[in-house]
Amino acid sequence: MSVDCERYYVELRRINKSFGTFQASRDVNLRIQRGRLVALLGASGSGKTTILRMIAGLETPDSGEILIDGKVVNDVPGSERGVGFVFQNYALFRYMTVYDNIAFGLRVKKKSKEYIDDRVHELLKLIGCAGLEKRYPSQLSGGQRQRVAFARALAPSPQLLLLDEPFAAIDAKIRLELRAWLREMITNLQITSIFVTHDQDEAIEVADEIIVTNGGGVEQVGTPRELYSHPETPYVARFIGSSTSVKEYWRFRFFKSLGDQTSAVVRPEYVKVFRKDENKKFAKSAEEGIVDDVIFRGDNLEIRVRIHDVVLSATRSINDPVVEVGEKVDVFVYRFLVVDGEKIILLDNSSLREESVVI
Amino acid sequence: MNIRRNEGAIKWTLITLCAIFLAVFLILPLIYIVATSLRAGFQTYWKSITDEYAIKAAILTLEATAWAVVINTAFGVCAAWTLTKFQFRGKKTISTFIDLPVTVSPIIAGLIYVLTFGRQSFLFPILDRLGWQIIFAVPGIVLATVFVTFPFISREIIPALTAQGTDEEEAAAQMGASMFTIFRKVTFPHIKWALLYGVVLCAARAMGEFGAVSVLSGHLRGKTNTLPLYIELLYQGYDFTGAFAASSVLVIMSIVILALRVWLEKKGVKDLDVRK
Ligand SMILES: Nc1ncnc2c1ncn2[C@@H]1O[C@H](COP(=O)(O)OP(=O)(O)OP(=O)(O)O)[C@@H](O)[C@H]1O
Ligand SMILES: [Mg+2]
Repeated sequence: MSVDCERYYVELRRINKSFGTFQASRDVNLRIQRGRLVALLGASGSGKTTILRMIAGLETPDSGEILIDGKVVNDVPGSERGVGFVFQNYALFRYMTVYDNIAFGLRVKKKSKEYIDDRVHELLKLIGCAGLEKRYPSQLSGGQRQRVAFARALAPSPQLLLLDEPFAAIDAKIRLELRAWLREMITNLQITSIFVTHDQDEAIEVADEIIVTNGGGVEQVGTPRELYSHPETPYVARFIGSSTSVKEYWRFRFFKSLGDQTSAVVRPEYVKVFRKDENKKFAKSAEEGIVDDVIFRGDNLEIRVRIHDVVLSATRSINDPVVEVGEKVDVFVYRFLVVDGEKIILLDNSSLREESVVI
Repeated sequence: MNIRRNEGAIKWTLITLCAIFLAVFLILPLIYIVATSLRAGFQTYWKSITDEYAIKAAILTLEATAWAVVINTAFGVCAAWTLTKFQFRGKKTISTFIDLPVTVSPIIAGLIYVLTFGRQSFLFPILDRLGWQIIFAVPGIVLATVFVTFPFISREIIPALTAQGTDEEEAAAQMGASMFTIFRKVTFPHIKWALLYGVVLCAARAMGEFGAVSVLSGHLRGKTNTLPLYIELLYQGYDFTGAFAASSVLVIMSIVILALRVWLEKKGVKDLDVRK
């Protein structure tokens, strides 16, 4: 296969790691291509930080291999792996100025004074903090601290940048700005990067590729689009996007049961709600439901509709005719993600095929 | 509810009580010491404090204090580092043992060393052959002083190290800094003020130590007498002027330490404000 021939910059093979009796990583396998920006996405405690720390050499795996640039680095000290690490709470040196913080890694590597001076100023300019070099971390805003931490990690010119929840400690508005900034920065620098997050919007927006972790293991690896449209495990199906569980999905028309033990997950994007008097595409195959709640979401409306004893969510545009709570509406479901054991099967509304034939 | 309101009567009663208490138990006695030592005139005072034995006692006191500070700083930093940066079994026990010297009576501390290094100890023949005299000699005094001031420095540093956590050190280590560099550049600035403060406390306590030192000293005038012991000796010999004169020297030393302490506290707080 062509993918296999490509060089992976970072590779984890069958990594296990326990803290006492608690297994924080179980059989983790990962491959990351050079120059990619990858997100490690998972719930709190799912082992994201542990994976990152093992790559950085801050933690040693109990078993398995870590490869960077094709070489096994299990026995290479973290400082010689060419890795820059941005800590969860930045861990800036509080008793050093911004300048000294950024210069630290270079001084440790015994670079010349002139080189250090040039590099620090270059980075300060890059992060838009020129002129702040004499400040202490406590005299910076959250966003500036984050940028300084980023510069400090970049100073020794690492080939791989690891960021642990880089935006967690920053308030929502600046976070959006910083996300875009970081994405642009990393794309320009062409540096392979892995960042940890438990915010799926962040992962979807920033990353080329997402690794979903759960309970210490890797659930699925894929582009945001792949995770969205083809979740491979029930966990991913429920975790990505907002989803509603539906037990007896076969009660919906045009869906047949795929087995007794199966249940399903549905996303708002797969559900369409129409007023009775609206022109609609799927007139014949829609079913009747009752509006349970209408929630204003700013740029759209979330309609919660009761049908076959479950409440499904759907979105409607602000410009669409208004639906009221208690109103009878037509509901059309395009697709269910059917959970069959540990597998996910995409089940489309069978009338979609028929109607396209009819028309 | 009204706790913050300045209820005149209660407030002033309490302030007066504190002031009277301090005056009766602290300030008056101190004034009395100085006054008594000067009663026979400045000449006599000067003679008392420049007495050969008085000067020797003062020097020995400073010597023992210096040793105590140096040894306990080294030990205190190591112990505090060990207790805060590593997880291991027996940590609680070590932590408890560090505090032992402040809970044990100094006289017992003295006796412990007499038993360990004295004539009846199995170590004595070995020490004797090496020509090391510990009991009734300067090393004994240093030992006793180190013992009673043992926890002062480590106890000051431990909270500072705990508050700092390990993440800055981890960041430094990840960039390849050596243990020594990490300590010097990252850890030390965090504990600097606590350490200096501990040193001051340790010095103050070391200078005043009487009990343990008394047991181990042997009271050889001019050889193993520290200032407190010397004062006791004069006092027992009814030389009140001499005793109070020597005391005033000790008081002055304490006041210097107190001033240092106040200054350090102010400076430390200011410094921490910037880098909280
Ligand atoms: N040093 C440690 N000692 C003991 N347990 C640990 C240690 N480090 C992590 N763990 C445990 O391992 C599990 C995974 O931790 P990890 O920090 O990797 O989670 P995470 O996915 O980064 O979570 P979060 O999003 O909250 O940061 C957690 O349950 C945690 O309690
Ligand atoms: Mg984490």
